Amino acid sequence: MKNNILIIGGGIAGMETARQLKQLGLNPIIVEKNFALGGHVSQWNRLFPDMIPAKEVLDPYEDSLEGVEILLGTEIASINRLQKGWSVTLSTGKNYSCKAVVFATGFRLFEAEKKEEYGYGIYDHVITNSDLENWFNTKLDERVPEKPQAVGFIHCVGSRDIKAGNTQCSKVCCITAIKQAIEIKEAFPNAEVYCFYMDLRLFGKKYEDFYIKAQRDYGIHFIRGRVSEVSETIDGRVQVKAEDTLAGKPVKVRLDLLVLMSGIVCNRENEGLAKAMEMPLDEDGFFRSRNNVNAITEADREGIFYAGTCTGPKTVPETIAEARSAALCVYNYVKNNK
Amino acid sequence: MTERLVTGFHPFVIPFVAGMFFVLGYCLYGIIRILVELPRADRQKFLLSLITPKTVWKNIKDIFLNCLIHVKLWKRNKVLGFMHSSIAFGWFMLIVLGHIEVMLFLPERTRFFYYPIFFNFFVAEGENTIQGAVLFFLMDLFLLVILCGITLAVIKRFRSLLFGMRRTTKPSFLDRIGLYALWLIFPLRLLSESFTAHISGGSFLTIPMNWLFRQFLGNDLNFLPTWWAYSIVLSIFLFVLPFTRYMHIPAEMMLIPLRNAGLKIKHPRKGFARVQFYSCPGCGVCIDACPMSVRKENQKDCTVYLNRQLRRNNESRIEEISDKCLMCGKCTTVCQVQVDGPHIRQAQRALRSYSINPHYTQVSVDEHLSKIGKGKVLYFAGCMTHLTPGIKKAVGEVLDRAGVSWTMMDPDGGLCCGRPMLLAGRKEPARAMMRINKEIILASGCDILLLSCPICYRVFKENYNLPGITVMHHSVFFNELIKANLLKVDKDAEMKLAYHDPCELGRGCGIYDQPRELVSAAGTLVEAAQNREASICCGGSLGSLSLSYEKRRDITLNSIKNLKAGNPDAIVTACPLCQTTFKNYSDIPVLDISQVILKENKKG
Repeated sequence: MKNNILIIGGGIAGMETARQLKQLGLNPIIVEKNFALGGHVSQWNRLFPDMIPAKEVLDPYEDSLEGVEILLGTEIASINRLQKGWSVTLSTGKNYSCKAVVFATGFRLFEAEKKEEYGYGIYDHVITNSDLENWFNTKLDERVPEKPQAVGFIHCVGSRDIKAGNTQCSKVCCITAIKQAIEIKEAFPNAEVYCFYMDLRLFGKKYEDFYIKAQRDYGIHFIRGRVSEVSETIDGRVQVKAEDTLAGKPVKVRLDLLVLMSGIVCNRENEGLAKAMEMPLDEDGFFRSRNNVNAITEADREGIFYAGTCTGPKTVPETIAEARSAALCVYNYVKNNK
Repeated sequence: MTERLVTGFHPFVIPFVAGMFFVLGYCLYGIIRILVELPRADRQKFLLSLITPKTVWKNIKDIFLNCLIHVKLWKRNKVLGFMHSSIAFGWFMLIVLGHIEVMLFLPERTRFFYYPIFFNFFVAEGENTIQGAVLFFLMDLFLLVILCGITLAVIKRFRSLLFGMRRTTKPSFLDRIGLYALWLIFPLRLLSESFTAHISGGSFLTIPMNWLFRQFLGNDLNFLPTWWAYSIVLSIFLFVLPFTRYMHIPAEMMLIPLRNAGLKIKHPRKGFARVQFYSCPGCGVCIDACPMSVRKENQKDCTVYLNRQLRRNNESRIEEISDKCLMCGKCTTVCQVQVDGPHIRQAQRALRSYSINPHYTQVSVDEHLSKIGKGKVLYFAGCMTHLTPGIKKAVGEVLDRAGVSWTMMDPDGGLCCGRPMLLAGRKEPARAMMRINKEIILASGCDILLLSCPICYRVFKENYNLPGITVMHHSVFFNELIKANLLKVDKDAEMKLAYHDPCELGRGCGIYDQPRELVSAAGTLVEAAQNREASICCGGSLGSLSLSYEKRRDITLNSIKNLKAGNPDAIVTACPLCQTTFKNYSDIPVLDISQVILKENKKG
């Protein structure tokens, strides 16, 4: 096919890029390693700050991607440079020659068990942000007690943490924690909710209002200070030790549920692909853009584009905006390289 | 044997005599200086050890085996061992045999101490005696041995890789002078003795050489310049010796008695430490051994360079190197003279003064005691095990399954064991914590103090005095439980496990075998490329005060690569800090030994 554009990854970045490319008259092909589209967003329940259900964001793609070739459960076997464009071989053995390749390979959530001091996988009532979204969706998780009296959130788990090997800010967890704290308070109005944070980075539209609402309307306690240690009491509750750096005092809180805000970290699967294509990764493991001001969606190699979180942590609206920008870049590239 | 010169003197000996007086004077000054610098109690201890027959015998034995024969080096590297012992022992034998010659043939000349060195110049062989033949043969033999050693030394200088040394030190200017002088001494001795061999006698080496020379040069009088050259080169070597790495030759003879007297380093520049850094031969085996040497920019932070900077009084570098070290102790293990780099650094760190000094007076022993239950075994988890709850849980479960009567010393967090403070050179706060811990332990009424962290284990073993209480690491205790049939483990022979020796447990406390027995009880032990004493620090060590996490990364990756040499299914260690460090970068599971035991126990 003449105007094939291969998109690696079928999350919102990949889907939005495909949707735009289709409208621009090109022929996008989505390759997704999982057996369903939607990526991380499909695992989420509601999205900040308007609390719209994630489903509402995803559902319209079903119609708008009609006619787009979507290869599920498929991975990239190899990519080779052609005179004009790229030749891609898939794990199914199929081969495509295409004008451009868009990486929408996304991110991976930090494996919370790596921060063993927080006891994920060891204590009975420690879950991650993603587990909590799953509970919101299904109400099925034996780690979440029926009537919790106290619930805690630990911010920045595995992000901005040099010991964990990730120095980057994961960007979305501050606001996600506030969102989830409110949702917990809505589900269990009698529970005390604590957020242990080191900084609150509430940069986006309505985020600050959301934070004020959480304190004023929901009575959520925000404690500035990193958690030093989590232990389990004899009656199976979770005990958190931290320092309240604003009060200058150590605090000890007993909780029925502890939620770890696992951060966005680079997708390690990209390493092999990047090496094979001689594309440099940044020190944080994300793909390196041509520059980080006006060419975020472009790689140093001709005909390679990026969309979404494969270049760094991003929110859903940012990812969608970037996917559109990537689609436009691809369109211009194809037009100029006929 | 008759004397050729009636006076028994020739001006060419003057350079040598001057050099010898210089070195002896310098060493005497050094010995006095070190004795003065030693703290009073240490000095008494040392002097007492010099009249205790047991230590005297040990000193003689150690000096002979280490300084002359280089036994440790032989064990490590046969070629290097041969090279060093041939030069040291050969030279020693030449001096001894020289003295025997003088005493035997010209007893009235024994007071001329240059006579044994230049014996062949001063004598003429009147008749052939069997003693003379034997002595001359031995002299030639040992000269040949030394020349072999020197040949190897020259080859090593240009092709160190042939001798198994990847990295070696860059000699300083004076080191080079000393080195070239040392290379020249023995070929010149051979030349000079060959020139006079037809007069003074010789053996299988010198007589044929003499015959050859006379064929070409003809004139007997040509021998004087070579004797001059021999004396001058000796003199150069002796004059530069105190300012080069060759100072290690006399210094090591001082180091061994001081060490045997049981002294500890108290000050990084004075007394015992001074002998330590002057004993450094500057060979550079610690460069390859240092875990930091995977990073090119950190290659000059190992002990050989610390010693060099200490000799030069380069304060800023001394401080930098001292703070950076991970204190894994591998440099001391591989070192032929066992220069105790980590303890010199620890003493250096102790020189720094801090504006805030914690006192711990608010800690209540009674409050801690009220939280401790009753049990024969008191388990102190310590900070690191509290941060790795997986280990804490596994240790507790194993103890329960073995039916051990145990209780926890720090169920709600306790005081630090004191080792991190000691490593940082802060003895006072460390001692304050140790006093409180000791009081708690003694009041608890336990028989065994159990530790799951080697950092704690080492300090409880080394620095606490706990009468009537056995201090045990969990890897040792569990092994005893298995041997006593109190704990059952199903061996999974399919599971290949690589065991990482934590620095504090292995090199620090000498525990290598029990953890291996334990691992072998649970699975198949596959050894790392470098193991036991040679194990590579995980990079997470709290010994370093200034090494950043990015830099530690390379050390950790290198250590993991070393552990994966036998293609293990998992890495097993016995230290919560090693485990945490490896976990961040390893692509295979990293388990504590307690977790492995628990897993294999549960199956049964």
